[in-house]
Formats: sequence, C-alpha cells, structure tokens
Amino acid sequence: MMTFIKLGWRNIWRHRRRSLVVISSIGIGVFAMMFSAGFMNGMNMQMVENTISTSLGHIAVHSKGFQENMKLEFNFNADRNMLGKIDRTPRVKAWAPRVKMQAMVRSSESSRGVMIVGIDPGREKNVSKIYDYTRKEDGSHFITGRNTDEILISREMAEKLDLLVGDRLVVMLQDKHNEIIGTGLRVCGLYETPVNSYDRFVVFTGIEKLQSMNGMGANISEISVLLNDKKDVDAVKSSLVAGIDEGSLEILSWKDMAPGLVRSIRLFDTMMFIFFAIIFMTVVFSIANTLIMAIMERFHEIGVMKSIGTGPMRIFFMIIFEAFNLGLIGVVAGIVVGMALNFVLSYTGIDLSLYQESMRVWGTGSVIYPIIRFIDIVNAVIIVFFTTFIAALYPAVKAARIKPLEALHFI
Amino acid sequence: MSIIAIKALVKDYDVNGIAVNAVRGIDMTIDKGEFTAIAGPSGSGKTTLLNIVGGLDYPTSGSVVVGDRDLSGMSSSELSDMRLNNIGFIFQAYNLIPVLSALENVEYILLLQGVSKKERQDRAREILIEVGLEKEISRLPKDMSGGQQQRVAVARAIVSEPEIILADEPTANLDQKTGANLLDLMHELNRKKNITFLFSTHDSMVMERAERLIQLSDGMIASDEKRR
Ligand SMILES: Nc1ncnc2c1ncn2[C@@H]1O[C@H](COP(=O)(O)OP(=O)(O)O)[C@@H](O)[C@H]1O
Ligand SMILES: [Mg+2]
Repeated sequence: MMTFIKLGWRNIWRHRRRSLVVISSIGIGVFAMMFSAGFMNGMNMQMVENTISTSLGHIAVHSKGFQENMKLEFNFNADRNMLGKIDRTPRVKAWAPRVKMQAMVRSSESSRGVMIVGIDPGREKNVSKIYDYTRKEDGSHFITGRNTDEILISREMAEKLDLLVGDRLVVMLQDKHNEIIGTGLRVCGLYETPVNSYDRFVVFTGIEKLQSMNGMGANISEISVLLNDKKDVDAVKSSLVAGIDEGSLEILSWKDMAPGLVRSIRLFDTMMFIFFAIIFMTVVFSIANTLIMAIMERFHEIGVMKSIGTGPMRIFFMIIFEAFNLGLIGVVAGIVVGMALNFVLSYTGIDLSLYQESMRVWGTGSVIYPIIRFIDIVNAVIIVFFTTFIAALYPAVKAARIKPLEALHFI
Repeated sequence: MSIIAIKALVKDYDVNGIAVNAVRGIDMTIDKGEFTAIAGPSGSGKTTLLNIVGGLDYPTSGSVVVGDRDLSGMSSSELSDMRLNNIGFIFQAYNLIPVLSALENVEYILLLQGVSKKERQDRAREILIEVGLEKEISRLPKDMSGGQQQRVAVARAIVSEPEIILADEPTANLDQKTGANLLDLMHELNRKKNITFLFSTHDSMVMERAERLIQLSDGMIASDEKRR
C-alpha cells in the first residue's frame, strides 16, 4: 500500500504546474470556505451577543404567557426568597428586574408606538449593555434613579420625534384598570445599540416610575439573568427551574426567547454548506480532468504495470491516492492560509462601517470579528476528500480497466 | 519435460470486419531451461505468439499449456497472477515505471508478491549488481541509457525467479554492441539459474546467440533447429 501512495505522490510531481493548478484551485476553494465561514460565524455570534446584551440576557424569569403576549396582566411578584435563590445559583453573574409594556410616546411633532421598559438602573448596568450604549456627553446620561421622571430613548427615535436631551414628552399607556393615562417625562439621554430594530422600538424609564404609572405596585414583568459564561445556559436554566417552583412562572433561555434567531443561524449554516458544495462541484471537474489527462499520458506505463501482474485494484488505488494527495495538499494549504487570515482578522476585525445602516438591520455591529470553529475545519476536510474521491472515481476505474495489450502498443 | 506446449494455435484479428490471420496453426514445445529465439520478418506473428504464451492475449483456437496450466480455461485475474508469479516480461522499450528508481522498479515485482521490505531490497540490490548496475541502483529510468534500462528490465524479470522469461525484441532499440551484451547477460542468467528464455528478434546477431532458433513466416513455423 505504501508504495502505491508513494507512486501516487511521485506521479503528481511529474507535471508540477498542472498539479499546482489543481492544488491551488482546491486551496482557494478551501480558503474561500474558511473565510466566509469565519465571517458568517462572527456575524452570527455578534448577532446573538448583541441580542443578548441588549434585550434578552441569558435567562429570563417570566409569568407564564408573557413570552407569547406581552400584556400587563402577566406580571408577578419577585419576593426576597426568589431573588435570594437566583443570587445563590452558581454561575449567575447578575440579575435585574424589569417592567415591560406597550405604550405610545408623543412629542409636539409626532407620536410612536414603543415598548417602555422600567429598569433598576444600578442592576441594569450589570445585566445589559444599555448603559454602555448610552451617550454620556452633551447632557445625555443614563437613568439616574428608580423613580425619577426621566426617559431614555434611542438616537434614532429622538430624530424621528424631533427631540433633544432635556425635552419633555408624554407617555401614554393603559393601566391595570384599562384606563389610558398620560405622563410627562423628560428625555435624560440617548442611546444607540447595534440592533436597529431594538432602537426603533424601546425606551427606558425608572422601574418604580413605571410601576406607579401602570398601577401594578411592586410587581414586575421579568427578571433578566446574566451568566458568567453563555455555554452554561442550559445547566443554569435547569437549576433555576428546580429552585423556583412556582407554577405560574416560566424560565426561558435566550434560545427559547429568540427561536427565530436560532433558526436563522441554522439556516445560514445550511446555506454555507450548500454554497461550498457548489464551489467544490467545479473542483471536481478540475481534478477529474487532470487525472484523465494524467492517465492518457501514462497509458503505456499502466499497460506495463498490468502486464507484469499489477491487479486492477492496485491501479485503482494508485489513482485514488494520487487524487487524495492533491486534495490533501490543497486542503492543508487552504486551511493554513485561511486560519492565518482569520486569526489576524479576529483581532483587527473586518470594518464594514461603510455599510453601517444595513449591518444595523442585521444587528451585528459594523465591525465583524471572524470566528473559525472546529466543525468548519472538519467540514472543509470532509467536503474536499469527498469531492476528490468522487472526482477520482471515474478516472480510477478507467485506469483499472486498461487492457495491458492495447496499452503496450501505445507509446 | 516441456514447460510450454502449444497445439494448433490460431489467432485471427478482426480489422474492420476483415480477418487478419496473425498465427495460422503453430505446434511447438519448449523444455525447461531452453534459450530459444523466435525469428522472422516483421508481421510474421512473433509478438502475437509471445503475447498469447504470456497470457496477455487470447488465442482464436488451439491450446497453450504453460507449466501445468492450460491457459484457455483461465480468467483474466488468474492470468494476471500467472504473469506476476510465473512469467517475467521484457518488452522492446519503456519497460520501467518512470517515477521509480532502478532498485524500486526491481523491488516492485517482489512487492506485488508480498515479499517483506528487507528481503525485497536485498534481493533487488543483489540482482542489480549481478546485471552490472551497482552504480545505477538509485537512478531513475530517465537518467539511464537504453542499455541500462533494458538491464533493469532483465533484473526485474528475473528477480522473482519465474519459470519463464518472455522477451519481445529486447534488443530492437539498442545498438549492436549493447544488444550483444544484453543477450550475453540473458544467456548467462539462463545457464546459472536454469530459467527458460523465449525471445523474439529479427536481428541475426541475436539469432546467433540462441541455442534453439524457430523461424516464423506468415504465422507458421518455417524452421526449428537446435544449434547447440
Ligand atoms: N491488435 C491487432 N489488431 C489487428 N491486427 C494485428 C494486431 N496485432 C497484430 N496484428 C497483425 O497480425 C500480424 C502479426 O503481427 P505481429 O504478431 O505483431 O508480428 P511481429 O511481431 O512478428 O512483427 C500482422 O499482420 C499484424 O498486422
Ligand atoms: Mg513484434
């Protein structure tokens, strides 16, 4: 066997340039694959991270029904006992209570439907990045207390409503008696997240302020929980479920709360795989073509090998090894170069600020940091070896079937 | 005791619907250890005869027995095994695998036979020294002269000590002197190892060196003489 691998190897280098063309076409294919996979992964990852850091958190405690329908009635009382349990749960980094509800905001210019979120500013800083995303210049600042008449809105909404920091606006909402009530609040600051859809829709005020507006007393809509490490989500979720055994509550991970996000990431993965498969269809032809040429040139030689007793299986494997060698060099070269570039870019990032607005729609941020996963490398190797094998099959069978006598005549 | 027995051998080729009679009824037996030349002009059927004896081609009719094997009943994989284990081949030219060195080309046969690496290398080296190619052992075919390449082919044919060596015009691409040397080498190996040689030629210098000379003409035996 070793000798046939060696034969396959040496035969490659008989036509250095032709082999290099095939190797580089494989290499470039693998490189393109690594690069786009890295880019996609980075984008997905940032999409998830941004969604977690703006709205979802890792885990949330809700009243049953709140996830489907964000109605005021789905509220609950978070007593000391429950909060203490969350605090004592291992791997929990921080938690924050929130009251969330639909409302309208009206400026002198126009009005918009929003989701108003009542927060505990001190706790919120540790759970979401809204504080980090808040501008801290020109008078703009975060909510300062739980019961101030401040409202924090996005830069975009400020533009749409033609508001400046310090201006007043009116929040209209339905309280627990289904009465529409309006409250005047002062814009204390502007924020901007990488998630466009979020900025369009969400405003913040103090939690107690909102509680007094809607009449729910001390009840809240959710507790958002952040972990030290995202990968512990499922484990922590189950221990929280076990710890907080109130039938009226449900505990959801970010995956439960954003099934669309999870689905679209899976869709991206599938799309990538199909895309690569198409790239490598062209590689199949380049390999098959080269091998067929090589076999035609070595027709006599293969005839000699068969004349002196080399069985067809051995000829078959010699050609397969030849293809494998081509594939192996190509895939290694592609992976090495692809990894190197990804490594560099994972520090520098790929700056897409030129396309800032469209990137904001995806919620990824304007600088993408590529990520290569082990599975991407495995995929590349599998695809390359699979395609090389497919490409080599016909030429190898052809070579194995060469009739020694005909080939001997052919010099 | 005969090692090759040929009876009423006929081979027709079909060329665009027209039958070409390459061999038209040959009977002959070759004994173990003979050093026989098949002579005759171009187109007289020498190559066809050797190919059939070597199991590379099938007869149209008649029988060929090599050793104790009747070739007519054998499948192509049985014939392939016979070529590997019982017959050594030397062709006119381009005998060698270009990407393998002299040593590796000779080893190749032993490799196919499943001989261990150590033994393979020892035997191949020994044979190459025997055919006078000690210095060329690790050269590639392209770095050797035509005569040296044919010597490697002889070494490869002989290394597994087959019953018979078939050589189709082994000297045709060599000059007189190199051809004569190659034939002397073959003859020496024939005597030393008692291996049967059957080779074709249309060169009188080669014919002179044969112990038995079979002349073909038009696919039939014209004469058959023992010379020594
Ligand atoms: N594969 C073939 N197809 C058709 N005719 C062939 C084939 N091989 C040999 N012949 C014919 O058979 C005859 C004998 O050829 P060959 O055995 O090659 O003679 P030699 O080796 O003595 O020159 C020639 O007339 C040749 O044209
Ligand atoms: Mg001939």
